[in-house]
Formats: sequence, C-alpha cells, structure tokens
Amino acid sequence: MTEWIVFAFLILGAVFNLMGLLGVLIFPDPYTRLQASSTCSTTSVMSVFIAAMIDSGISAVTGKILVITLFFFISSPVSAHIIALYAWKNEIIPWRRKGGQE
Amino acid sequence: MNLAVKWKITRIMLTSVYLFAGWMLFTGSLNPFSMVMGLFFSILTALLTYSLFIDEKEAERRGLVFNIHILVFYLLFLLFKMYASSFAVLYNVIRGNINPRVVHFRTRLKSDIARVILTNSITLTPGTITLSLDDDHLIVHWLEAKTTHSRYAGELIKGKMEKILKRIFV
Repeated sequence: MTEWIVFAFLILGAVFNLMGLLGVLIFPDPYTRLQASSTCSTTSVMSVFIAAMIDSGISAVTGKILVITLFFFISSPVSAHIIALYAWKNEIIPWRRKGGQE
Repeated sequence: MNLAVKWKITRIMLTSVYLFAGWMLFTGSLNPFSMVMGLFFSILTALLTYSLFIDEKEAERRGLVFNIHILVFYLLFLLFKMYASSFAVLYNVIRGNINPRVVHFRTRLKSDIARVILTNSITLTPGTITLSLDDDHLIVHWLEAKTTHSRYAGELIKGKMEKILKRIFV
C-alpha cells in the first residue's frame, strides 16, 4: 500500500515537471514563463520530497528531509521573487491578452 | 541595567535557542557530548551574528515567539493550497488560455516577518508571483486574473492565509 502512494507522488512530480517545462516553452513573456517554471520547481520537488518521506517511514532520515523541505519552502519563492523583481525594476511590460477585461 | 542591554541579551538568547533547535534537528542524537558541543557553538554563533538574525527595531509582542501549533497547521494548509492551484495552472498550460494581469493590494499584517511569510506564500502558490513588497503594499503578477479591483483581488489571493497568519503573529 505504501509503495503505491510513493509511486503516485513520484508520477505526480514527473507530470508537474513536464508541464512546467511545456509552459516555459509555450508562454509569451518573462513573467508567465516564471510562473510556469516556479510551478514546476515547487510542486514537483515537493511531491518528490513527500514520496521520500513516506518511503523512509518514521526515522531520523524523515526529520532531515523535513528540514530540507522547510529550507525549500523558504528558498524557492525567494529566487522566483528576485527574478520577477529584477524584471519589474527593468520595466519589462507584462504581456496581456487581447480583448480581455479592462 | 538599561533597556538596550536587556534587549541585546534577549536577542542573543533567542538566537542561540533557535540555533540549538536546528542543531538538535540535524544531529538527532541525545549524546551528551554532541549536545554540549551544539550548545557551545550555538551560543558562539549567536554572539557573533545576533544582529543579523534579529533586527534591533524588531520588537513586536509576538514577532519572534509565535504560536507554533498554528504555524504547523498553516504549513499543511499551504501544502493543500499549493496542490489545488497547481492543478489549475496545469489545466491552463494544457489549454493555453491565460489572462495575466498585475494587481496591487495592501496587507493588514503588522510585523515584518509575517509580511515576509505572506509574500513567500503568495509566490509559493502556483499562479501568483509577488513582484514587490513595499511596507504594506504588494504588487502581484496573477496568471489567471478574475478581477483587477484591488480589494477583491487581495481577498482572492491572500484571503485565508492572512487570517491564519494574523493568529500566529498576534
């Protein structure tokens, strides 16, 4: 039973990663590409971490993975934010859908 | 002993307590030698770097010692929200139907660390990225914008996260 949950989370991680990369190729401007890549990096890596935590059960290794997850919770958004802030400070105008609501 | 010295000692002690908790989490052993080593080095590191960890002006009532049990709940809630909005972004990527807008709104949180956690959570949730945080004014890039009205957009993006954070950092 545990193995199947681990499998499910790993496959979920792979799917999110693939879709994030697809989004980076499809989307039109830096901000939306950053959205896609941050989705890929957060959710897929988190799925892999959860799979690893379930696989190792209750032990010291789980605690270490938990600490790594917490670091990831802090570091990943900060890197995405820094890139977005740089683009915003350089006055790159965000892409907007034509005919959208004003 | 005046107030500044007292606050300095409190900062050093808080920093060393946090560092020691981190040490215990990493080593995971109750061996007395390792514990004494950890205590010594956390106090040494705290003496050197307390002014970087805790700013001198950062003296809110609940800014540094907060409600940990609600924080654990908050992390679980964030995980759930991350997966939920991640599926929404997945759907948008497949359909190629996006409506990105930049929205501005304000936050009601007072302490600096609570604001930083709110900003981080907004960026961590797929579909929204914080472009800038200036005092209490946030600029957010939203992938699937439903509205550009400041107040409604703020309610949709931060909504429940802000309410829980308000209870953590009272």
